[in-house]
This record gives sequence, structure tokens and C-alpha cells, in this order.
Amino acid sequence: MTAKERREGALIAVDGVDGAAVKAAARALLPAIPAAGRARVSRWASSGLFADLMIAPQEAGSPSARTLLLFYAADVAFRLRWQIRPAIDEGKVVIAAPYVATAIAFGRAAGLPAAWLDDLFTFALPPSETRFVGEMPRRASAKRSGFVDFGIRCLDGNPNGTMRRELVTRMRAYLKASARR
Amino acid sequence: MTSQQRLLARVRDRFTKPERRRGFLVAFEGPDGSGKTTQRKLFKTWLQSEGYDVVTTKWNSSELIKPIIKPRKTAHALSPEEFSLLHAADFRHRVEHAILPALWDGKLVIADRFLFTGLARDVARGLDLDWVLKLYQPLLWPDLVFYFSVSPDTSGRRVTATRTPNFYESGRDVTNLEDPVESYHRFVKRVIREYESLALIFNFITVDAEQPMSQQHYRLRELFREGEGRPWSEWNAEAVVEWLELPGRDR
Repeated sequence: MTAKERREGALIAVDGVDGAAVKAAARALLPAIPAAGRARVSRWASSGLFADLMIAPQEAGSPSARTLLLFYAADVAFRLRWQIRPAIDEGKVVIAAPYVATAIAFGRAAGLPAAWLDDLFTFALPPSETRFVGEMPRRASAKRSGFVDFGIRCLDGNPNGTMRRELVTRMRAYLKASARR
Repeated sequence: MTSQQRLLARVRDRFTKPERRRGFLVAFEGPDGSGKTTQRKLFKTWLQSEGYDVVTTKWNSSELIKPIIKPRKTAHALSPEEFSLLHAADFRHRVEHAILPALWDGKLVIADRFLFTGLARDVARGLDLDWVLKLYQPLLWPDLVFYFSVSPDTSGRRVTATRTPNFYESGRDVTNLEDPVESYHRFVKRVIREYESLALIFNFITVDAEQPMSQQHYRLRELFREGEGRPWSEWNAEAVVEWLELPGRDR
């Protein structure tokens, strides 16, 4: 490949509260990326860690927000190693949906310190561009399988309880503030 | 008084009232082959005979996370970051579901390896100490840390006498050596170097683990008697308050 032919890879992060809306936004971005075959989507839970967590026996106890965030970070590390970095090295554009901002907003909304969350993700490649999806889910549904819904189920047990409303509202505020920055 | 201040007052009350036996945390640390598990068992038996209500917790033993880590270790599928983050998650889950509940109930908790194991191994794998330490925040400091000190040669000899060290134990993920024994010797040197630094930074009580077993055990008894009167560490307040605030925690 000549220098002229070599393309620069890039990472676009798509973050938001509603997992389904984030997924749809990532899909909608694909046609806008020039040159077919250049774009890849890296999704939450690609490592299989969360799938294993979902089937864990109840007696093992629910993970706390901190434990969930450590898991999310491990999942991001996996995605960076197997999906994001290799694709960028090949000159591809990777859409990470969701990426780090969703997790940080979830952690902030659950009451975790901002400094801890920022430090946790220092290993993550900074995105060249971030898109925030503003849609706010009214209720959790079986169709939604994003990190936020999963996290709320772990923390509260009731996917549509008061905690959900409060946490989602706070998350949205954090994401809005991140978008302004 | 804010709810945080009320919780803090409850925590102080729980751990500092002289009329009740407070929860006490003892960590056993050291490289593989240092004999700490044998000593931990002897120590537990002795404490029980002395009337202590003892709970033991082992490294990477959370019912939730251990089954998730194990197949990935078997498949050699974890990078140093993933390895570190998942062990920190396992530790956090045990802190919340086993260690703090026992301490709150006034029990004596013996941790066969504590967060220092994560620090020593992860830094030996090339990760940044500051980053790894933050994974374990809010930090829960043991009342006593017994560090079982052995040379890399002793560790290597004891471990390889009966078995072949596994992939991660021998550090093959970072040494890139095919021979597990050779890799173990190289990796344990790094682990011990990190432990020696941690022992200085965090004021471990060093036990000479090259000494005969019975001698070490009697020394542990003396060290425990000297240290058990230590006051509760205010540094632990943040970890306990955060645990009390977890949803569904009615205490």
C-alpha cells in the first residue's frame, strides 16, 4: 500500500442513556462514512463478560455500581484489544457504541466519584469524535439490552422503579454536560 | 447533620466503642510458595481456640466473579489490564458481600491475599501502580498485614517441587517464555521486588518464611497479640460508608 492509499483510522464514540437509541445512532452513522468497508461498530458486552454476569446465580449477590464499572472497563479493554485498535491500525473507522462516556455518566449518576471514574478509563483510547444520543427511555423493555438497563436491574432489581427514573435523569444531565465540554 | 455525617457517626460508633469487640482484619500476603496458606490455617485454628469468631476469605473466590474469570484464565484470554480489572472486581464484590458484613458483625476476618496481591502481580505485569491502586478504592486497610518473605529461589523451588505453575501464575503472558518453570523464576523475581516495595510503603509486618513452620506460627501469635489493640483506622470510614449506602443494605 502506498502512502497515498494509506488511510488514517479513527474512533467515533456514540454514547447515551438508551441502549437501543445508541445502537440505532451507530447504525445510522455507517452510510455517512465514505468508502464502503471502512467502518466497523464495536458494541457493549463484546467480551462476553456481561453475558456471563447475566446468568450468574442469584445467591452470588448482585454487583454494585463499582463492580459493574470495573466490569465495563474490562469489556472496554477487550474491545480495544480485539476490535478497536486492530481496525484503526488497518485504517478503518470504528464506531464504539456505547463507549466510555456512558459508563462514566452511569457511575456519576450512581454516586461514584468523578476522579475514580476518570482514572479507571485512562487506558482507553480517546475518541476523535463523540456523539451523544439525547433520547431518554421512559421504561425498560425486554428489547433494550444496553448497559444502563442491565446496570439498573443489578442495582435495583426493579427495572422500572424510582431508582431508574432518578438514575436516568442524572445520567442524562451528566451526558449533556459532557457534550457541552 | 447530613445523611453522610449520620452514617459516619454510625461507623465510628460501631468500630470504636470499647465495650464490644470490633471487627478486625488480618491479611496474609506473600508470593506463591511462601507458606502463607499453611500459616493462615494454623492461625485460624489458634484464634478459634482463643474464642474469636473467624471468617476466612481467599483471593479470587467471589461466587459471582470467579466463575467468569476461571475459563478466561484457562483459555489464556486475558490481557494484563483485563486480568487486573477482573481481579479488582472480584475483590470489590468480596469486600461488599463477605468482608465488610463480617467486620460489621464484629468478626475477625483473615484474608488469604488482599489487594496487595493485585498490586504486586499487576505491577510485575507492567501496569502502573497508581492506576492499579485506584481500582481498589475506596481502600479498606487491614489492621495487620503479615508479609511472608521468601527468596525467589525458595518460592520457585517450593512451587515447582510438586506441580507446574499455570500460565498466569508463571507470568507467561508477559515473559513470553514457553517453559513455565523458567518463566515462573523470572516472573516471581518481579513479584517479590514489588512486594518488598509495598512492604515498605504500607508498613507490612514481615515474617521470615524461610524459618521452620512452628517458629513462624508462634511468631504470628506474638505479633497478633502486640497488634490486636491497635485502634480502628479512620482511613476505612469511606469504604464502610459507601458499603452502608449500597441499595438494599438495611443495617
